[in-house]
Amino acid sequence: MSELPWGRRFLMCPPEHFGVLYEINPWMHREVAVDLDRARHQWGELVATLVEAGAEVELLDSQPELPDLVFTANAGTVNNGRYVPSRFRHPNRQPEVDHDIAWFTEHGFDVAPLPEGIGHEGAGDALPFRGVFLSGYRSRSDAGAHGPLSALLGAPVRPIELVDERLYHLDLTFCPLDDRRALVAPHAWDSYGRKVVEALVPEPFVLEDDEMLAFCANSVVVGTTVVMPACPPRVGRQLERWGFDVVPVDVSEFLKAGGGCRCLTLALDVSVGPQAGDAPPPSSESEAAR
Amino acid sequence: MSVSETVEVEGHIIDSLILAKVLDVIVDAGADYRMVDVHIGRTSGDPSRARLEVTAADDEALAALLAELKVHGANRAAEVDALTEPAEVDGVLPVGFYATTNLPTQVRMGGHWVDVDNPEMDCALVVRPDGRVRTVPMHRVRAGDPVVVGQGGVRVQALERPRGANPFEFMNSEVSSEKPKEQLVGRVAERIKMTKGAGGKVLAVCGPAVIHTGAGPDVADLVRAGIIDVLFAGNGFATHDIESNVLGTSLGVPLGDGLPPEGGHSNHLRVINEVRRRGSIAGAVADGYITGGVMFECVQHGVPFVLGGSVRDDGPLPDVYTDVVEAADAMRAELPGVAVALMLASTLHAIATGNVLPAGVETYCVDINQAVVTKLADRGSHQALGIVTDVGLFVHTLAQHLL
Repeated sequence: MSELPWGRRFLMCPPEHFGVLYEINPWMHREVAVDLDRARHQWGELVATLVEAGAEVELLDSQPELPDLVFTANAGTVNNGRYVPSRFRHPNRQPEVDHDIAWFTEHGFDVAPLPEGIGHEGAGDALPFRGVFLSGYRSRSDAGAHGPLSALLGAPVRPIELVDERLYHLDLTFCPLDDRRALVAPHAWDSYGRKVVEALVPEPFVLEDDEMLAFCANSVVVGTTVVMPACPPRVGRQLERWGFDVVPVDVSEFLKAGGGCRCLTLALDVSVGPQAGDAPPPSSESEAAR
Repeated sequence: MSVSETVEVEGHIIDSLILAKVLDVIVDAGADYRMVDVHIGRTSGDPSRARLEVTAADDEALAALLAELKVHGANRAAEVDALTEPAEVDGVLPVGFYATTNLPTQVRMGGHWVDVDNPEMDCALVVRPDGRVRTVPMHRVRAGDPVVVGQGGVRVQALERPRGANPFEFMNSEVSSEKPKEQLVGRVAERIKMTKGAGGKVLAVCGPAVIHTGAGPDVADLVRAGIIDVLFAGNGFATHDIESNVLGTSLGVPLGDGLPPEGGHSNHLRVINEVRRRGSIAGAVADGYITGGVMFECVQHGVPFVLGGSVRDDGPLPDVYTDVVEAADAMRAELPGVAVALMLASTLHAIATGNVLPAGVETYCVDINQAVVTKLADRGSHQALGIVTDVGLFVHTLAQHLL
């Protein structure tokens, strides 16, 4: 058992301009007001918890009229110092991309955009595990993105169909814990996706519906610390049995926009693929074909 | 008619089960697929790629399926409009012209697929000023005609294979002399009845053996009864048909007792000579010289016939096309509406007809020689069902079923 090889350096964006100004997922309701002070406080707590757990946090400036810029998980996908900017399906979020690209350019990342016309919402829909990226599609990202994304990231990408519109990003359904374990929400995937995850994850912890809808999977793992938006007892017991420290952080203001702890962070230190010296993935395209 | 489209899916489609899912989606939608090309990545890092031809029942079903496949990342293969180049001189096609098959064909122009009016093999595709596309044989192309060049923007549709307990099921059997003929003939008769019932025309392509085997009167009956709508033959068939009716002999041999009379070898020449004297077969019928037989019935019932000539013809009869290009054009002109073709003991005319027939025409090739049937299929008329038997027996039995 060894810790995740990534998750020590995150990009986050303060919620100065956060709010629910439009509705692009089933959780968002414009009539629900965001308490901005409370949001600032919760976000500060999350930063402090991550730093306490041993992570570095880099900051992206917030921008007026871009309330969701706070959800940096959707800024793009990062691997080995390369940054693939997101291409949002909803016009409301499309203007975020220029700000994201500016930050990554300034910070020395190799910016590699997806081909025109292909949508993908970054780390929200692409999580590394055991040498491959699992990538969610249907709600927000296009299945067709996985080929180009794989070429740009230099790592295999396996698309998983998300079938529950409430769980519109992969990071609401899947959370890598270490090199063998992950929180999984198979109810959110189609039968093919379930088989793919089953083949990839040696020790899954299967979330029940209520745990899944409490955004349990939208957690941030820093070494052996799991920072969670909520921790139902059954999940907590299992994580502790496995040797993790569970730290719940209240991000209820952000849940109004359908985002939890993971959505508020983007891991900058992901390193998957040939250069990374990872353990080889459990199967290969050619073996599986046979 | 089913419709097809090529889709491509790329990436880690094996490990992610995307390819399996795409194939399942196609089959679950009641459609079918053919793997055109699959490239499997060697390692887990290598992407894989599959190209599939998806076939659905109709345009609507195909569109719905393509929309669903797109969700899973399988996109329509990049499509281009067909390219055309003007023919520089009459009768000569541009280099790289698209050579047609006899299958239903579509050409993409301005982003839309347009059906080719008259599928015919070994022709070129010419775009008409009104936007329609026609197959045109090489000799008929005129300077300036826009001719489709290259393979891009052209697609053909495979004919649906009949399935289940279809009366046409026996079509997919191999040519063989070891098949029960009575049953086969009965089924051909059924198909002809169905075709006639649906308003389709029946074309008969006859060789001289039809007359030699004594089947002339049966064919004449089928013409008279309105079952045969179009006749293609050569100088020999028409000559022996007339000879047998005027003189009672076929190539000098009496069809009654079979004993050759003195000077019988010249009978057919005398008959041709008399018809030539009267200007045409119709003229000889009007004059009362011809009083029965297949050609007589054709004239009497207004059934169009095309007699194609050959180098070895005696005479020939005045109706025979001595220019083979004109003969082929005359045959083409009679094809609209033809749904069933009977190739009766004719090698050259059967193949000539096969060349101009669309693949959708049910074709029955009857010959005592298996090689004729094989030859027809080898030359691209894959829709032909071969029946290896004596043509006299076949026509007689068919007439019994139909009359």
